[in-house]
Amino acid sequence: MEQASAALRDSDKVERRDLLGLFLPLARDAAAERYGDFDALRAHMKRVRSHTMEHLDHYLGQFEETALRNGNQVHYAGNGDEMNNIVLDICQQHGARRIAKGKSMVTEETGLNEHLQLGGFDVTETDLGEYIIQQAGETPSHIVGPALHKSLAEIRQLFLEKHSLGERALEQVTDIVTEARSVLRDHFLKADIGIIGANALVAESGTSMLVTNEGNGDLCANLPPVLIICTTLERILPRAEDAMALQRLLVRSATGQPQTCYTSFYSGPRREDEIDGPLETHIVLLDNKRSDILASDYREILDCIRCGACLNACPIYVGVGGHAYGWVYPGPMGSVLTPLLTSLEESNALPNACTSCGRCAEICPANIPLPDLLRDLRHEETLRKLSPIRWRRGLRVHAWLLGKPRLYHQLTGFLMPLLAWLGRRRGAFHTLPFAGGWTGHRDFPAPQGGTFMKRYQAAQRRKKA
Amino acid sequence: MSEASRNDILARLRGTSASATPEQIARKLKALGYAAPARMPSADPRTAFLANVLANKGSAELAADRKIAVQMVGKYLYQRFRTYKLVAGNDPRIAAMPWRDAGVLPRFGAAENGDTAALSYARLAVAETGSVVTYTGRANPGRNNLLPEDHLVLVNTEDLVVSLEDAWQRIRRDQPADHWPRGIQFIAGPSSTADVEAQLVMGAHGPRRWHVILVGDTPPQALVDAVKLAATLT
Repeated sequence: MEQASAALRDSDKVERRDLLGLFLPLARDAAAERYGDFDALRAHMKRVRSHTMEHLDHYLGQFEETALRNGNQVHYAGNGDEMNNIVLDICQQHGARRIAKGKSMVTEETGLNEHLQLGGFDVTETDLGEYIIQQAGETPSHIVGPALHKSLAEIRQLFLEKHSLGERALEQVTDIVTEARSVLRDHFLKADIGIIGANALVAESGTSMLVTNEGNGDLCANLPPVLIICTTLERILPRAEDAMALQRLLVRSATGQPQTCYTSFYSGPRREDEIDGPLETHIVLLDNKRSDILASDYREILDCIRCGACLNACPIYVGVGGHAYGWVYPGPMGSVLTPLLTSLEESNALPNACTSCGRCAEICPANIPLPDLLRDLRHEETLRKLSPIRWRRGLRVHAWLLGKPRLYHQLTGFLMPLLAWLGRRRGAFHTLPFAGGWTGHRDFPAPQGGTFMKRYQAAQRRKKA
Repeated sequence: MSEASRNDILARLRGTSASATPEQIARKLKALGYAAPARMPSADPRTAFLANVLANKGSAELAADRKIAVQMVGKYLYQRFRTYKLVAGNDPRIAAMPWRDAGVLPRFGAAENGDTAALSYARLAVAETGSVVTYTGRANPGRNNLLPEDHLVLVNTEDLVVSLEDAWQRIRRDQPADHWPRGIQFIAGPSSTADVEAQLVMGAHGPRRWHVILVGDTPPQALVDAVKLAATLT
């Protein structure tokens, strides 16, 4: 809540989010239109995902077998700590010092960087957005564009402080990119270990698909002598063609591009006849409650492909930004996932922040019924009595009243003009009796006079007349 | 730690999964079929491919044969860098080209930091996405696609396929049973980023420029049409 209030006070950032909230959905819509029948593609992917999830034991077994045959070492991690320790062990075994990392939300989820840094390793994020926020000591505000909350001036200041490169202008976006390119090139060349995520795992071939524009993930996968892929169970798809179908959805939904610059399939360590590539490759498969989610009524959230389209379309996300969500996954997908990966007790504010406007469900490439899942979480919150007792009692009274339309109309017909009259000067209330929790963090707008039904009936009458 | 977690995870998944034999699962999967490719900007795959290459911020040329391709590479290198230096993998197709005719001096092997230009002979071109496909290996070390300033790619017209599904059919045909190359890379443009102010900049960590030469029989009009079409795609 406090984070949300702080977010709304920073007017430069509000303006930036408004622009992105306008521009990114338009780019997505245009790309979906150019594809052709995008809804048919979404429906196809849904069928493939449902099939895969229904037989995940089979496909995980197949993936393990093919990945091992390709020469990978496959590890399983029940939770985030286990994943962090597995990765730390590998780094220690190799006497590594420098680690170059590609973008991975999974490692954000487990807090891998801090774990490795505590272990004495030098970890560098190489995706430009991730690098910027790592230098600033921040967390991502968006799952695709992690530093989109930062202005050019802020990034310029950050680079001037962090890179001792002497006097330079650094005034254009291209200057920033060029400087990051030359600084990070050194990290790629000197890294002992590369760590990347995966956009999909292909069961038939034991390969992982990596989708990037910058090429940083590919440099991490090709240059260092050891490669570690940190990923989760639900990334598995049966065939390469299924990964390509996912990629078609992903790029258009994420950035509005028809194709990313690099779409790579990595199968394992350097082959006998090769002169480059990692000598050793590890795949760490994280569960972290995903098998629980699979067994629950929320299983469809596992179909999420991390495109970020629901963030861009969400009026709440655009209003408050990613940091207000308090954890790594923001927006509608994060509001479903965070309570499931942490606990509903800790994160019950997130499902309640949803206005049920439905825009996220309209554009979700994986056809996840996000508003329904959020409603189910709120329902569960009430059933488990996690929300305040006054809140639950209030809802019960409200439900009772809704069952009596005449009484409801009489009561609101009396209350609305009263509230309008009371709030006529300021147009809003700072405090309201019985709603201190609500008005503690925001103003309650005063009614404009008249209920919806009264206005509706008046409009109907005008139409007839 | 990992073994206990493995057994635990697999046991949980068995608990939630539908019981079926591998044959039944394979049948169900087959029945799902494949997705449809994106709408093509042109009915002619060559024109569509070239239009998409240009829309991906690449540049493109047509070479009727490999001799002409050599001249084009030489001209490109001179115009860009005023040198004829080039690095290429140990691809017999590249080695057999008459480089001396254009004064080009290829170094065969893996690209190093500081190399200005690398040349790859792609295995496939995909019209749907305007991408080329390379396999990592001696013929094209993975780093050759990534380290240089400019990435030049040759690809034969007979290796041009329409959709990503067609591409995978060819890729499967190339592999001896279950022996995949270490890396299969679909490349569609110079590396780019929009992480600062959502402004698109070319040359993030990989090549700043990407130049494709389609080798074989393609009418010059295809490129003329592609230039016009590309303008409507971005």
